[in-house]
Amino acid sequence: MKNSKIKKYIMNLTPLLGLAVLFAAFLILGTVQDINISYGLKSILSQSVVVAVVATGAIFIYTLGSFDISLGASTAVSALIGGIVYNKTESLLVMTLVCIGVAVLVGLFNSVLASVFNLPVFVTTIAMLSVLNALVLVLIKVNGTGSQIAVPAAAVRSLNNTTFKMVVLLIFVLLCIFVFSFTKIGRMQKFLGGNPVCAKLSGISEKKMAIIAFVMSGIGVGLGAFLSIVYAPTLTRNTASSVGMDVIIAIVFGGMPVSGGARSKIYAAVIGAFSMTLLSQIMVMFNLNSGIGQMVKAAIFILVVFLATSGQRGKMLPR
Amino acid sequence: MGKEVIVEVKHIDKRFGSTIALNDVSIEVRRGEIQGLIGENGSGKSTVTSIISGMQKADGGQMFYQGEKWEPLSMLWALEKGIGMIVQENGTVPGISVAENIFLGETGRFKVFGKEGKKWGTVNRKEMMKEAQHALDTIGASHIRAEQPTASLDMQDRKLVEIVKIMIKNPEVLIVDETTTALSQIGRDIIYKIMNRMKEENKAVIFISHDLDEIMNVCDSLTVLRDGKIIITFSKEEFDEEQIKTSMIGREMQGDYYRGDYDGSCGDEVVLEVKDANLGDQLKNFNLQIHKGEIVGVGGLSHCGMHTLGKVLFGACKPQSGSVLVRGRELKGEADAMKEQIGYAAKDRDVESLCLNASIRDNIAVGGLDRFAVHNFLVLPGKEKKYVQKQIDDLSVKCAEMNQYVSALSGGNKQKVVFGKWIGRGSEILILDCPTRGVDIGVKQAMYQLMYRMKKEGKSIVIISEEMAELIGMADRLIVMKDGEIKKEFPRSESLSESDMIQYMI
Repeated sequence: MKNSKIKKYIMNLTPLLGLAVLFAAFLILGTVQDINISYGLKSILSQSVVVAVVATGAIFIYTLGSFDISLGASTAVSALIGGIVYNKTESLLVMTLVCIGVAVLVGLFNSVLASVFNLPVFVTTIAMLSVLNALVLVLIKVNGTGSQIAVPAAAVRSLNNTTFKMVVLLIFVLLCIFVFSFTKIGRMQKFLGGNPVCAKLSGISEKKMAIIAFVMSGIGVGLGAFLSIVYAPTLTRNTASSVGMDVIIAIVFGGMPVSGGARSKIYAAVIGAFSMTLLSQIMVMFNLNSGIGQMVKAAIFILVVFLATSGQRGKMLPR
Repeated sequence: MGKEVIVEVKHIDKRFGSTIALNDVSIEVRRGEIQGLIGENGSGKSTVTSIISGMQKADGGQMFYQGEKWEPLSMLWALEKGIGMIVQENGTVPGISVAENIFLGETGRFKVFGKEGKKWGTVNRKEMMKEAQHALDTIGASHIRAEQPTASLDMQDRKLVEIVKIMIKNPEVLIVDETTTALSQIGRDIIYKIMNRMKEENKAVIFISHDLDEIMNVCDSLTVLRDGKIIITFSKEEFDEEQIKTSMIGREMQGDYYRGDYDGSCGDEVVLEVKDANLGDQLKNFNLQIHKGEIVGVGGLSHCGMHTLGKVLFGACKPQSGSVLVRGRELKGEADAMKEQIGYAAKDRDVESLCLNASIRDNIAVGGLDRFAVHNFLVLPGKEKKYVQKQIDDLSVKCAEMNQYVSALSGGNKQKVVFGKWIGRGSEILILDCPTRGVDIGVKQAMYQLMYRMKKEGKSIVIISEEMAELIGMADRLIVMKDGEIKKEFPRSESLSESDMIQYMI
């Protein structure tokens, strides 16, 4: 086997190996500390699924070499509006569709705004973050008790199980893999992320692709909002508050190139989300408080980006 | 051959995966000489010079510089020690000024406060600009201003900035890797002047070019590489065009180099038309009709507007007034041009025509998605691979596999990928800006024959080029541009010469 190919395979497998190592560490620590491993795993899957779904959709944005900082806030707003709609209609289907619809609209607004003003999309997402955070407070104040909007727990109890959540995640991941790898759209997205100038001269519309990316991401955010309601039907200003940052970390953890392009991969989001939750769980097992845990996560994030880009820097430095 | 050897390469090997790039290569470079390196694309010329200049390391063998073992740590390190290389593709940073590019990593030289070598301190920008401008003026590139953003320069001027960046270090050995192909005659003259000055100062130059006439004129000796091996070294008195060509490609060249006929006839149908177009100083009341089955050659100096014309014809640049009509209908943009079967190979290949961080497969497939995607949507890997493999086979792209990154290909093979992207989708009108830049004679000949076949099939081609011989050799009709205008139009003729064209260019 050729050296370069082996190196390529190892590079591709590194995130998966990282997940395996974390999983092994969890099993060993769990056995040593005599905790219920099966229950622990279910809990990890439940915690990961929202980030995994949102991150999977967000891969489309990252592939373009851009990013969206407002994903967490968008998840919160979609969940809150979904909750309000459920309380009015008592229909889970309508609630789900509203969650997705709101998230897609937010994504569309971001991309269209960027296109009208000819701005990089991440700039509009920064503005959107402030707007959405304010909207969370307004929605809770106007439609809730002042501090929360509660969907009756009984309404979603039957859905709050690992199998259902995994099925939702699996369907969405398969949809994204299909669009990403087996359609023109996916090919164009990756090419655009790799070289926007050449993509334009190959007939690829940057604006159209950005809009599609934000729609796909919006579907992920909407499903994430729905799963957030299923997991914790009492919605507060803290709902999905850490999702935005967790999605960014998960995508990088999963081996997604920060610059996007041809090497982008959907599975990075899922691997990253599970790895991150496992890491958090392991830190809890070591009795590290959440503050220290966040710092460890941040340090690992920087380390992963450093390792992922060190090859590129090596190529650039001699020049 | 009594001159002192300054660089000695002994039994160098280099592999890229399964590809043997260099196999037991030994070269001697002497003081006071311009040593040429020639060979087909992928023969190993750039690999050997990149190893000498510290861009990459050899897998085996030894090198000596001024009699001492030479193991360069990086290009910067090598340049500091006296060996500098001007690379084939872009080597400047676009987001900073020309002066900052020239003194990249060395702005400490212009510190006002703080000690040199320490990171803190402030830079005297005025002084830096002054020195950069002086360096630009010295090589004859006064038209470039030191304070100008590098991104605002065209490819030729960026290349000149790169040359200044190397020359301010006053190297003992200068490596010029296919640089001249990116330059117009003015730019080429600047490089020739620099090379000759180095020769006079008893320094050495390694010169790589695919232009056989140029390399035979400029060099004192010429080493031919083929498939990673040294085939032969000719001294100046042994230079013979046919012999060099034969040793390069390993066989005698068969058939015509350019097209053999002087019949400039074509169809009556106007397939593409520029009408009263104005675009800054690049196009002024510009009118041009391209007919079915016609090869139109566009020549001129680098800034005459011909490269912009290429973009306008593809819909990538909209004229401020006037229009571009494709088969009588107004062209709306790049996607529209592709729908109308127009293809465009840009001059700046690595930036505008290829995605270097993607595979050969991705680059060829992106042009033909609407050809092989089921219902113009679904991409089936089997169909895609078949489509891409056909282009690779038809154009004989030298590669390990279709998933290989384009960045790992030689210049000529990159250009073949660009051709594959546009020919594969069945383009009826091809706009080719400097199509044979950095391409060896064997591939050039194949490309010319391909263009001629396409013409015979009723396809229309616009060749924009700084190589007049290429235009004269291939075009049915040749236009010479100057200051955004057509200065002269020549029909195809056996008697047309380069000097006929030059008088209208300058």
